[in-house]
Amino acid sequence: MTLAYVRLEMVRLLRDPGYLVMSLISPLVMYLVFTNLDLGRQGSDGAAAYSMVGMAGFGAIGAVMGNGVSIAEDKPLGWIRQLRLLPLRPVNVVIGRTLCAMVVTLPPILAVSLAGGLVNGVSLGAGRWAAVVGLLWLGIAPIAVLGIGLGYLLTAQQAQMAGLVCYMGLSLLGGLWVPISTFPGWLTNVAKATPINRYGELSWRITDGHAPTLLGVAVLAGWAALFVAFAVYGYRRSARTA
Amino acid sequence: MPPNDAVVFDGVTKSYGPVRAVNGLDLRLARGRTVALLGPNGAGKSTTIGMLLGLVEADSGSVTVFGGAPERAVRDGRIGAMPQSGRLIPGVTVRELVGFVRRSYAAKRGNQPSQATAVPSLDDLLETARITELAGRRANGLSGGQAQRVRFALAVAGAPELIVLDEPTTGLDIESRRGLWTSIRAYAEGGSTVLFSTHYLDEADDYADRIVVVDRGRVIADGTSEQIKQRVPGRTVSFDLDAPAAVTFDSLGGLPGVASTEVRGTRARLHTTDSDATVLALAKAGHVRNLEVTGAGLEEAFLALTSTRDNLTSAGENR
Repeated sequence: MTLAYVRLEMVRLLRDPGYLVMSLISPLVMYLVFTNLDLGRQGSDGAAAYSMVGMAGFGAIGAVMGNGVSIAEDKPLGWIRQLRLLPLRPVNVVIGRTLCAMVVTLPPILAVSLAGGLVNGVSLGAGRWAAVVGLLWLGIAPIAVLGIGLGYLLTAQQAQMAGLVCYMGLSLLGGLWVPISTFPGWLTNVAKATPINRYGELSWRITDGHAPTLLGVAVLAGWAALFVAFAVYGYRRSARTA
Repeated sequence: MPPNDAVVFDGVTKSYGPVRAVNGLDLRLARGRTVALLGPNGAGKSTTIGMLLGLVEADSGSVTVFGGAPERAVRDGRIGAMPQSGRLIPGVTVRELVGFVRRSYAAKRGNQPSQATAVPSLDDLLETARITELAGRRANGLSGGQAQRVRFALAVAGAPELIVLDEPTTGLDIESRRGLWTSIRAYAEGGSTVLFSTHYLDEADDYADRIVVVDRGRVIADGTSEQIKQRVPGRTVSFDLDAPAAVTFDSLGGLPGVASTEVRGTRARLHTTDSDATVLALAKAGHVRNLEVTGAGLEEAFLALTSTRDNLTSAGENR
């Protein structure tokens, strides 16, 4: 039944693909522009790969936040309440919406990765390519759930603001635009506690030839648990008030 | 709890800040009946319905639906609802939307084969709600009456044992209202319990087996339409005027028992607390053409029952 719900929401999304296109274009353009200005060459050979992960992640965040906004837009229509009155468990609805968010992160992740490989000459072995793309995709799940919680709890306008803060603010703080090693020491420590940095770190470790760290995965998992509780709470609450 | 009760409210209260929306509500709804919930704006109808659907939690007292928590009944697919003021989502056709909702019930029913009523086929469902010809249309591009029919289809898509309709006909033209009621009545005849709220008293009069009037968060009258009307002692005496100019309001109003008068065209209507005395006086004065004595209508009864409110408004926000 969760899949039937995902299908319904995906059909709706594909018939109004505006934000899908936006979440694809901005990271792609930013990636190509940044890495081909002088900025991108100041680092090592790894800069193009670093930036590729960063911009793919940035695009993925934009996509999941857009998903949250579309939830908030459904609320005044009574759609969340309608779902709440069906024999569907709240957790299944939240999971369904998370899967939708996961699907919409694929275009920016794949597009930026392709641009990295084909235009910017990022060269990785097939296994590492698969790991990078796979972790970029799976690792976004906690953030997707956060976006969903925001969508359930906030009005469309508020969700748009909160989404923008997460999109820009967390991307910057998490080191998706510039490495956190360039931050002042205290800020680096703050950044390391954020889910976005740990998300990016999964794939950066791979491009650097290492395995993800246990600590990084644990931090991300902790955030994931928190966000799931937040989203389920948001869903139940939104059905009550809408 | 007797097994024939679909819904039981027992001493239920619910406040929003300082406002007591529901204040010690006791109510039992028997299975298989159609019950109207009436009350002025702000009487607590929507809060009551919200609690019945498990969307609002009671502060105290208990709400049970089919012997369990409302959320449980919803989760088991035993309730269908048409909440107030919802609109249909963009990006889907009517068939996709109704089909999805129907499937959610069917999937649940599949887990519980012991359930008596099977979920209807999608085509039957579209037919029942008279939306077959709308199946391919986008759900958000429908007229008000069409959209309400689709929303009704969503409420009955799982052949639930209880359907709850919160002001289903508000804002619809008379033809759409009739059409929707045809569908609701047909569904009720299948043995389901129906609870609806409405601002149209004639709908309660025509379609409900029982009328529950709530005001200030509690039940103030409960019974059949006839019983409710009898709560108001007044009668209406009406007759044709021979020559309207010849009779003044004052002279009619001065007749024994008459509380208020009204003249429409050549027909006079006197609201009286003592119809016998009024009729005798009219006969003496020679005003007997097409004379008729009727009891109070549901509207008068409703107004009399709820008129103790000092802030009765005809328009405003419902809770």
